[in-house]
Amino acid sequence: MSPIETVFFFVGIPALIVLLVGGLAYAFGGRRGSARRYRPGRPFEATPVWFLSAPERVTGADQRRAVAGAAQAPAISTGEVETGRAAVPQGTTGGASDRW
Amino acid sequence: MTVGETVSKPAAGPEGPFTTRQLLRLDQALRIADASTGLTFSVYVGDLDEPVRGHAEKLHGQLADPAESVLIAVSPNQRILEIVTGAQARKRIQDRDAKLAALSMAAAFGGGDLAGGVIVGLDQLANHAGRS
Repeated sequence: MSPIETVFFFVGIPALIVLLVGGLAYAFGGRRGSARRYRPGRPFEATPVWFLSAPERVTGADQRRAVAGAAQAPAISTGEVETGRAAVPQGTTGGASDRW
Repeated sequence: MTVGETVSKPAAGPEGPFTTRQLLRLDQALRIADASTGLTFSVYVGDLDEPVRGHAEKLHGQLADPAESVLIAVSPNQRILEIVTGAQARKRIQDRDAKLAALSMAAAFGGGDLAGGVIVGLDQLANHAGRS
């Protein structure tokens, strides 16, 4: 092998492969979704969401539905909740609270 | 069927907290929990106003049948979790069971896994509630 061939086989081709793989990873890999990944302690900017398996079970769900469509769960913002219908008197609710 | 479709085309502005895959899992978990217990489970993820417990109870009161409903309210920014059970639901999911579910959920949230924590919590609450 001539020195040029040696350089081509041992430097040129590996460099080409590295660039190809790197380029593909850069183009398609990306850390998609990492922007909305939740990391405790860091601000988490996301639209408030409220899920039910049957959206019609929320009173006044139709007005608060963020996206039109019968089968879609209502997404409400915390602000809108305040203006909602007077809540059913709670006094008998139970449950638990926690922090992390 | 329900939640999975909400974010397939995200609207302008900040996106929801979950990916489509997570929404599908969440939807399935909610449907299984509802179907197996006969209670209405609901999950709210977003900021809660002070007093946090009061706000969570207000949200719970907006459900069609609060007595038979269970609300899991998670505020990732405030790092607060509230589980609200209605008067009837409370008889099936006692407060200490809810606390146990809250502990598992908080552990998952502390590790940054919002969807996983909610699903684990739903599963535990549904198990404690038993069959309808």
